[in-house]
Amino acid sequence: MISERVVQLLPSRVRSQVEGYADALSTLLEVRDPRVLSSIGPSALRGTVLKRGKQGVPTTMPASHRAYFDWTYPHDFPEMKELYDRAKRGQWDGDALPWHTSVDPFDPNVPLVPEDFFAYDVLEEEIGVRFTPKEKAELQHAMVSWMLSQFLHGEQGALFAAAQVTEAVQFFDGKLYGATQVMDEGRHVEVFHRYLDTKMEKLYSINDNLFVIIDALMLDSRWDMKFLGMQIMVEGVALGAFGTLYRETKEPLLRELLKNVIQDESRHVHYGVLALREHVLNELDERERREREDWSFEVALLMRNRFLAYEIYEEHFEGLITRKQWRRAVAAARGMERFRHVMFSRMVPNLREIGLLSDRIRPHYTRVGLDRYFGGLAADQLSGDQMLAELDQAA
Amino acid sequence: MESIARRLERRWNTLKTDLTWIGRDLRGQKRPPVVARRGPSRYPVATAPRPALRPRPLRVEAVVRETPDAVTLHLAEGDGTPLAFEAGQFLTFHVELDGQTLKRAYSLSSSPLDGPGATITVKRVEGGRVSNHLNDHAAPGDRLLALGPSGSFVAGAATELVMLAGGSGITPIASIAETLLRTRDDVRVHLLYGNRAEADVIFRDRLEALARSHANSSLALALEAPPAGWSGLTGRLDEAVLGPWLDRLEHDRLEPSVDRAYYVCGPEAMMDGARALLSARGVPPEAIFEERFRSPADAPASAELPAEAVTVRVRAAGRDTIVPVAPGQTLLEAGLAAGVPMPFSCAMGGCAACKCKLAEGEVVMDEPNCLTDRERADGWILACSSRPRGPVRLEVV
Ligand SMILES: Cc1cc2nc3c(=O)[nH]c(=O)nc-3n(C[C@H](O)[C@H](O)[C@H](O)COP(=O)(O)OP(=O)(O)OC[C@H]3O[C@@H](n4cnc5c(N)ncnc54)[C@H](O)[C@@H]3O)c2cc1C
Ligand code: FES
Ligand SMILES: [Fe+2]
Ligand SMILES: [Fe+2]
Repeated sequence: MISERVVQLLPSRVRSQVEGYADALSTLLEVRDPRVLSSIGPSALRGTVLKRGKQGVPTTMPASHRAYFDWTYPHDFPEMKELYDRAKRGQWDGDALPWHTSVDPFDPNVPLVPEDFFAYDVLEEEIGVRFTPKEKAELQHAMVSWMLSQFLHGEQGALFAAAQVTEAVQFFDGKLYGATQVMDEGRHVEVFHRYLDTKMEKLYSINDNLFVIIDALMLDSRWDMKFLGMQIMVEGVALGAFGTLYRETKEPLLRELLKNVIQDESRHVHYGVLALREHVLNELDERERREREDWSFEVALLMRNRFLAYEIYEEHFEGLITRKQWRRAVAAARGMERFRHVMFSRMVPNLREIGLLSDRIRPHYTRVGLDRYFGGLAADQLSGDQMLAELDQAA
Repeated sequence: MESIARRLERRWNTLKTDLTWIGRDLRGQKRPPVVARRGPSRYPVATAPRPALRPRPLRVEAVVRETPDAVTLHLAEGDGTPLAFEAGQFLTFHVELDGQTLKRAYSLSSSPLDGPGATITVKRVEGGRVSNHLNDHAAPGDRLLALGPSGSFVAGAATELVMLAGGSGITPIASIAETLLRTRDDVRVHLLYGNRAEADVIFRDRLEALARSHANSSLALALEAPPAGWSGLTGRLDEAVLGPWLDRLEHDRLEPSVDRAYYVCGPEAMMDGARALLSARGVPPEAIFEERFRSPADAPASAELPAEAVTVRVRAAGRDTIVPVAPGQTLLEAGLAAGVPMPFSCAMGGCAACKCKLAEGEVVMDEPNCLTDRERADGWILACSSRPRGPVRLEVV
């Protein structure tokens, strides 16, 4: 790897870029499992080096999966049928949210997120300046816009993945259910985009690491990988983030929006658990199961370590501090810590429930301090209402 | 099938973009990490429902009895959109009774946080036509015609609110208090709520739960005729009860410098007493907010009105318009019909949104209405409740 000393010798513009590449590379080197590495590698090149998500032009990704038709329309999965019924009743209209609410992102009386989503003390120390209240308000606005932008990009991925999975899944009850999820994700794209467009008036580009995951899922021809990636991992992050924001924002429109979205997402994760549990148990051999188990562990780590608001760094801090310093500051923010907590307390129990948390992998989770989530409730035991009630209580 | 040439061309284009991108990156010519919008927004600008002189239908979703004399109606917009309002505001209902349209204001008693619907809570007034009608006959599925929301009895910049409510006057107060407490940690709310008897207390559970779960709030209940063993205050909300309660607040006050406001809503006599007492204690008039609950006149004051159309000159948005006013028409109705941009909301003299300056001439105003003595003395009138006695010049400011 390029040593820090060599990097210091480069002109500063080039230096920060090389730092960026080095960082991308170190992300890949963190992946221990060679098979996972080879499946994520090409996506990582496209996302972190070529920055396909940031080029300002549409991205095309060749998707190949098998569409599974069944001309006999079997009633093959009662629990999915029930989810389908619930989803039909749970439809809502994005237009009906209170859009007339005037949102002032800079009003300190209605903070979008608590101040501790930034570790200002750490940042101030690294840079050697004190932030004024106005600068802090701008950073809070940047952080919320950034998070919501990533949700939006994630929702676009979820929309396409849901459509593909609907084609590929072998349960007919699952296909009907899947149609509602496609509609749900379309609505999520609508409401997040509308909020960013009309209230935040700012949209960040997709985060490179999120691009990598979406790219890898789109190109993987195995439907269960798409499913695992989207329904368990990405939705897991989303639920973590939605939950944290829902609990902590004082902005009523955003709260209402998230409340509705969380209800939908909890169904999606529930569906993911049902379909994958069945699949892992009956369709995969042990080798295949292990591969998925390793893959989810690595992706979980990637998300924990790399979902770090680099876009805000590039906008405000590039040249002032290094990526490494930025990483430290983001990791130290208490709000981010809460977000990671909610995210893993959803994701890990779901992995357990679908059979991807065997005794073989558990020591790895323990090593990185995630073992405290082993015993939590999985999505099929937790309804959207319960989830919201839990969040309300913790507020 | 796509021809090979086309495919190669596409690859080449992608490669070109990729290379350009890396080159830019290395030269430090980065694009900002944000996405610019292409073309206009696809979303309409959402605003609260525009005020209209014609009321729109609301649907009664549920009816809940609060006390023997008070009933809460759960309302939803007839067209399915959310019922948007600010805590403390009211709707003006046009209720058809015995062939007559009676206009009555009712404050929204729920918090706007609990949308999309909202509630009103109506307490019987002895001999009152609309209040008794709604208490006896309102049922789920009914349609009620309403204007609004209107009113400026809403939370302002103050960070400490001292709220005095009597009887049905709790409706806007409960909405404001609940909304503030649920959304802001930096606001303190102190509420004193008076009633005749224990059975008359509206929202008791809700208010007590709020006080319990928010350390930055306090609640005191006062009864004129308390039951045996009553642990709250005793007596009507006059000086004897209010004075000591205010003393106590003053005494326990944590931050003497905070921006404090008084919100008062209840029976006429209580409100007058409270105002006098607060003024005597040195509270400046601009720190006192009041909502007076009363019914407007049944019929326009018809005395001394001309029998023919008169012309009125209205200056609004820097332009003068000559407006003909037909006999019986209000200044607001005539102005709107002539296309003058005149603001208004409740159209019944309850909100002062239509307040304008009478520069010349005389008008007859329906009473009672919400103008203060001060405003009257300064030449303000309510366009929605005024009819010209002759040629008039108006200024909409
Ligand atoms: C801005 C505003 C908000 C309001 N909010 C509410 C609310 O949330 N809940 C609620 O119950 N009411 C509220 N009111 C009062 C309501 O609009 C009516 O005035 C009330 O319901 C009486 O109407 P009525 O048709 O039953 O009585 P009317 O037929 O108009 O009056 C019958 C008799 O009672 C007298 N009277 C009228 N009103 C009162 C009164 N308040 N107290 C004592 N005597 C009276 C009249 O002078 C008359 O003699 C509000 C009024 C205003 C202006
Ligand atoms: S419009 Fe409300 S007082 Fe005239
Ligand atoms: Fe979604
Ligand atoms: Fe989803």
